[in-house]
Amino acid sequence: METLTPKQEFIAGSREVAPSLVGTIPFGLVVGVASVGAGLTPFQGVALSVLSFSGIAQLVATQLIAVQSPLAITLAAAFVVSLRLLMYSAALSPHLAHLPVGWRLLISYLMTDQSFAMTVRRYGEPGDRRHKHWQFMGAGMTLFVTWQLAVIVGVLAGAGVPADWSLDFVVVLTFIALLVPVVRTRADLAAALVAGVVALAAAGLPYKLSLVVGSIAGITIAMILDRSHWRSP
Amino acid sequence: MSTWLAIACVGAITFLLRASFIVFADPQRFPRFFRQALAFVPPAVLAAIVAPGLLIGTAGLDLSWGNHRLAAGLLAIAVAARTRSVLAAIVSGMCALWLLQWAMG
Repeated sequence: METLTPKQEFIAGSREVAPSLVGTIPFGLVVGVASVGAGLTPFQGVALSVLSFSGIAQLVATQLIAVQSPLAITLAAAFVVSLRLLMYSAALSPHLAHLPVGWRLLISYLMTDQSFAMTVRRYGEPGDRRHKHWQFMGAGMTLFVTWQLAVIVGVLAGAGVPADWSLDFVVVLTFIALLVPVVRTRADLAAALVAGVVALAAAGLPYKLSLVVGSIAGITIAMILDRSHWRSP
Repeated sequence: MSTWLAIACVGAITFLLRASFIVFADPQRFPRFFRQALAFVPPAVLAAIVAPGLLIGTAGLDLSWGNHRLAAGLLAIAVAARTRSVLAAIVSGMCALWLLQWAMG
């Protein structure tokens, strides 16, 4: 079995995530525009982006900061929309346990939906995994640099991006592309359907609470169904 | 000031959730039901983000055929299910939305 060098792994990782940039770059632009639109200064918008490096957390946080929601509510919403990162962390940890703590901190910081999806796929493939964390680094750095640049452009362009381009729809499409592959069992489908319906029913609630309520309802129902062994083969 | 506090806390939350198991804990040490619940987090959270994005318009819930985002989103779901390609889902959904907006105003 051929062993790739760290540099080859890095380049392979960058290549692997390149197609998802079609989604993440406009998404970053939208997030940048939204953060100044909501009343953050450009510097605050970029600081939030560098600190959290998560589009949906940035979007939700800016919207809640804009309506001056209580800190606890902003944090609860950011927590729930970022809960999937906890699941990603659990799924990746066995593959990364051999790395020094500095590497693990860096990989944690750079982990996003896209780099997670790529890494899980890659670790599932046969081969020497000695340098596979370099592949994560290639994907993570590519996403990080392009994301931050897109957010900076969005923050500077502000309202200059025409609304009739409907670029904000890219955000929804990005999450559709992430959602479809994770619905594998009937319990997964139930989690998604219940979460979606409850989020819609709760759409009138303030502070984006519909997201929180919908997510918790979906997880709860799926747990109940899963307990009763209602799983597809 | 409170804005900066919120920004710092959101940064800390996202980092700690990412680092949780990779840096601090072994998932095997947690009870089974907790790990099971974790497995349902992505479909539930992602759907709770997607559903309002497709169905809530400027005037509230919109289940009609005139809802271009719903039509474009359903197409993107079908394309994603068939191709498993992020690129194909985003390009098809965006083109469908632009086409519908252009054709129907």
